[in-house]
Amino acid sequence: MTRFLFLLSAAVFGCGRSPLPPAAVRVTDDAGFATALPGPADRIVSLVPAATELLFALGLGDRVVGRTQWCDYPAAAAEVPSVGDGLAPNVEAITARRPDLVVAYRSASNAAAIGRLRDLGTPVIELTLDRLADLERGARVLATAAGRPGLGDTLIARVNADVRAATQVLRTRPSVFVLTWRDPPITLGAGSFLSEVIQLAGGANLFADRPEPSFVVSIEAVAKRDPAWVLVVGEDEPAFAGRPEWQTVGAIRERRFLRVNGSMFNRPSPRIGEAIRQLAASLGSGRGQ
Amino acid sequence: MKALGLMGVAVVVAAIALSIGAVPMSLPEVLQGVLDPSGPAGTIIWNLRMPRITLAFLVGGGLSVSGAALQALVRNPLAEPYLLGISGGAGLGAVAAIALGLSGLFAIPAAAFAGALASSSVVYWVAAVQGARLEPRVLVLVGVVVSAFCGAITTAVLTMSEAALLRNAFLWLLGGFGTASWVSVVVFAAYAVVPIGFLFGANRTLDLLSLGDESAQALGLRTERAKALIFVTTALLTAASVAVSGMIGFVGLVAPHAIRSWLGPLHRHLMPAVFVAGGSLLILADAIARTVLRPAELPIGAVTALIGVPLFAVLLRRSLA
Repeated sequence: MTRFLFLLSAAVFGCGRSPLPPAAVRVTDDAGFATALPGPADRIVSLVPAATELLFALGLGDRVVGRTQWCDYPAAAAEVPSVGDGLAPNVEAITARRPDLVVAYRSASNAAAIGRLRDLGTPVIELTLDRLADLERGARVLATAAGRPGLGDTLIARVNADVRAATQVLRTRPSVFVLTWRDPPITLGAGSFLSEVIQLAGGANLFADRPEPSFVVSIEAVAKRDPAWVLVVGEDEPAFAGRPEWQTVGAIRERRFLRVNGSMFNRPSPRIGEAIRQLAASLGSGRGQ
Repeated sequence: MKALGLMGVAVVVAAIALSIGAVPMSLPEVLQGVLDPSGPAGTIIWNLRMPRITLAFLVGGGLSVSGAALQALVRNPLAEPYLLGISGGAGLGAVAAIALGLSGLFAIPAAAFAGALASSSVVYWVAAVQGARLEPRVLVLVGVVVSAFCGAITTAVLTMSEAALLRNAFLWLLGGFGTASWVSVVVFAAYAVVPIGFLFGANRTLDLLSLGDESAQALGLRTERAKALIFVTTALLTAASVAVSGMIGFVGLVAPHAIRSWLGPLHRHLMPAVFVAGGSLLILADAIARTVLRPAELPIGAVTALIGVPLFAVLLRRSLA
C-alpha cells in the first residue's frame, strides 16, 4: 500500500513537472498502427533495404544497429550487423541487437514476427516502401520516430526538387518493356517503382494499363504491343534475347535495349533522381548506353 | 470409330486453341495468319501459338501414358507420373538452380531433369533390393517418403531466398508453356519419342502386370525386368516433361481413368487414346490459362485441376453407378 502511494505520488509529481523529459514520440505507420515511443528512437533495426537507405540518407545512419542481408546501400550500411532476412525475420537475432525501434516491411509474412516483437515490448513500425509516393511518407515516419521531423522535410524537399529537375518530357513517349523473370515471363505493371521511373524519364511502361506491380505475361501480347525499347537492368545482353520465342518481338529481334545500372532501379530511394537521369539519357538520345 | 471421334476432338481443341490467345483475332485474321506465316498475325500463330499447342499436346500425352503405365505397374488407381519421387526431385533441382542464381538458358530445365532422375533413382534403389521382388506397395511408400524429403529441403532452400525469387520459383514449379518455341518442341519430341514408343509397345506387358505378379509370371512374363523397364521409362519421360514445362498436375491421373472407363482396360486400345486425350486436355488447359486474364497468364496447374477435378468426379460417379 505504501509502495502504491509512493508510485502514485511520483506519477502525480511527474505530471506536474511538464513537459515530460525527452518528449514521448508518437508515430502512425503504414498499417495505421500508432506507436508511442518513450523517446526518440536511438537503436533502430531496419528490416527493409529501402528503409535502411532512407535512414542513412536522413543522416540517421549511426542509429541503425541492425539490417537485413539484402541492405547493400550505402556502403556504410554493410558495417552494421545483419540480422538475416527481412521477411519472416528472426526475432531472436533482432532482440539481440537491443533495438528501441524495429522497422519492418508491411506484409502478411511478417505478421507473426511483428506480433512477437511487440509482445516482448519492442516497438515496431510497418512501412510499405514500394513506390515513389511511399518514399515521402516513409521518410517522415522515420524522421519523426527519431525525434528529428525536420530531417524528413529537408530530405523530401531535396528529393522532390531532384525528381522535378530530372523529369524529362519527350514529344512522344516511347514504350518500354521490362522483363523481370524469363520462365514464366514476368513483366511490370503500373504498380511498380520501375514503371514510375520509366514514366518520369519520358517513356511509357508497355503494360502501364495493368495496375498490379508485376504479372506473368503472354509473349504474344508483348509482340502485339510492339515496344520501342526493352529495358535491361544490370546486364549487357539479357539471356532471354537469344531465345527463339522472343524473336517475335521486334525490339528484341533488333536488339533495341536501354541499358541501366545500379540498385537505385530496384527500390524507391533518395537516389531516384539519378535513376531518372540515367534512363532519360538513354531514352532521350534514342539509344541505349 | 471411337478412336476417330477422339482424334476429331483433338483437332477441334487444337483449332480453338490456335484461334484464341492474349491477342484477340477474328477468324479471317487467324486464317490469314495460318496462310501467311511472315505477317504479324502469322508470326504469333506460327512462332508462338503453334509451338505452345504442340508442346502442350506432347507433354500432356507423355504425362498421361506415364500415368496409365504406372497405374498398371503399381496396381493402384491413385498412381500418377509424380508418384515415384519425381516431382520432389525435379522441384528441388529447379529451386536449387534458381536460388544459386544459375542463369544459363537450360540451367533450370537441366537441374530439374537431374533432380528428377536422382530422386527416382533413390526410390528405385531403396525399393528394389537385390533378389527381392519390386513390390508395388513398397514402391509407392518409398516414392511418398522421398517426395516428402525433397519437399522439406525445397522449403528450406526457398526460405533462404529473396522474396521475389521465391515467388518466381513457385510460379515455375506450377508449370506453364509461356516460353515454348519450336526449339523446345523439337528437343522434347526427339527425346520423348523413344520412351513414348516403348510404352505404346508395352501394352501386353502392362495388361499382364495389371493382373498381378503371380498371374503375369504364370502367363510367361519376366515380371521383375518388365517392372524395372517401365519404372525407368516413365521416370525419364516425366523428368523431361517437368524440365520443359514445370510440374503440371492432374492430367496424368485423370486422362488414364477417363479413357479406361470409356474404352476398357486393354492397353492396346488404351494407350494411344490416353495419349490423345491427355494431350488435348493440356492444350485446352493452356488455352484457358493464357486467355482468361490476358495479357496476363494463369499457372496451367491451376487450370488442369479446375477442369480435371470436376471431370474426374463426374466420371467416378458414372463408373460407380
